[in-house]
Amino acid sequence: MRNLLLFLQRYMHILLFLLLEVVSMVLLFTYNRLQTTVFFSTTSSITAGINRMWGDVLAYTTLRKENTRLERENTLLKLQNDALRGLIDEEKHTVTATEERIHEKLFKYPLINAKVTSNENRADRLNHLVIDKGTFHGVQNGMGVVGGGGVVGIVAEASTNYALVIPVTHARSAISCRLRGSNWFGHLSWNGGSKLIAYLDEIPRQAEVRRGMAVETSGYSDVFPAGIFVGNVLAVGSAPDGQSLRLTVHLGTDFTNLRDVSVVKNIYRSETDSLRNHAAFNEGVLTNN
Amino acid sequence: MLSDTLKRTYWFIGLLLLQVAVLDHIALLGYAIPMPYVYVFCLLPTNTQHWIYVVIGFTMGFLIDIFTSTPGVGSAALCATGLATPYLLKLFAPSGYAFDEPFVPSVKTMEWLPFLRFVFSLVAVNCFVYFLLEAFTLMCFGRFFLTFLLSTLLSVAFIATFEALLNKKKSRNG
Repeated sequence: MRNLLLFLQRYMHILLFLLLEVVSMVLLFTYNRLQTTVFFSTTSSITAGINRMWGDVLAYTTLRKENTRLERENTLLKLQNDALRGLIDEEKHTVTATEERIHEKLFKYPLINAKVTSNENRADRLNHLVIDKGTFHGVQNGMGVVGGGGVVGIVAEASTNYALVIPVTHARSAISCRLRGSNWFGHLSWNGGSKLIAYLDEIPRQAEVRRGMAVETSGYSDVFPAGIFVGNVLAVGSAPDGQSLRLTVHLGTDFTNLRDVSVVKNIYRSETDSLRNHAAFNEGVLTNN
Repeated sequence: MLSDTLKRTYWFIGLLLLQVAVLDHIALLGYAIPMPYVYVFCLLPTNTQHWIYVVIGFTMGFLIDIFTSTPGVGSAALCATGLATPYLLKLFAPSGYAFDEPFVPSVKTMEWLPFLRFVFSLVAVNCFVYFLLEAFTLMCFGRFFLTFLLSTLLSVAFIATFEALLNKKKSRNG
């Protein structure tokens, strides 16, 4: 206490000076417009500078969190961008004459649009396609698959969201086809090599076949309706058995560049199946009798 | 003692009135404003408590501010001058002068040159703080410096005149 009193006694003039200066400054900044303006603008700029610095420090400390947020946002935007690009591409897609004709033919049939997610090119020629639609979307085994260039293949297996397709370019594929404008029909097969070339066998030798003739589905199976474009005759030759013709067909579908396809939902299939079952039953009854 | 206090009070009031009634209306060459009220510190003996200089400075400045509508400017400047006065006295007192023997700063006790040096520094401190606070910027430094210099010189001239007149009167009485 004594020390405090000694301190006050010794430095009273300084303390008093500081006190009276503060009083003077209060008077100065309260009653003088110029000084008030300058004072407040200066203090404002100083506090703004301090706030900015503090803001920078805070921003720096939260940089990692912000970076994570931006990365997440960036990924989301990229995905959105890809989806939008896909939509734009779909909008820009020009419909070819073949595509238009296929759609005309399939007018009565509901189509399930799908995208090819996997296009295998196996050495054993047992190639498969995987599409991004499954039973959840109405895809079932045995359904036909068509693309912009014509027939693509047949659904072999369908899971909830995906389906495995046996394409024309599968060693064991056999699709019933005919020559457009005639009723000569045969089975389309592929024996490896170019994915643009397939063979139409079992065409009778008396059939009038010319190079360039269109090959289309015959409609003799429930998989594809009749008249779906398959390809054009590239060459006419004899089958290995010598009894029939073997036509080399240039396929309309480019299996090396296949993305958008449609699964054909045959609504008449149950009807035809029931007829077949009924006929089989009747035949069985007759045989037994 | 009492008569000394009364004499100093008269001087205080006289300097205040002179300043607010006459000198504040003078602006020589548009720049120089005489501020001889700093002379109030020259009336106090050297053994005066330091805080009294500060309080007298603030009071004088505050009263002048009331009349000149510049609140805070004069009080802050004269308060600072009051704080500086004892230090300046020690700085400009004639060499070998013993502060144990109190004296009132004047031409008679300090001779002309040391006294004028002391008064000049005292007035310079007051004018510098006063005009700095009044302008509140150093953007127009030339104008500020000219006002400061001319006002200081004019104020010193006024105080020297007071001192000369007082000396003359004393010598006539003596």
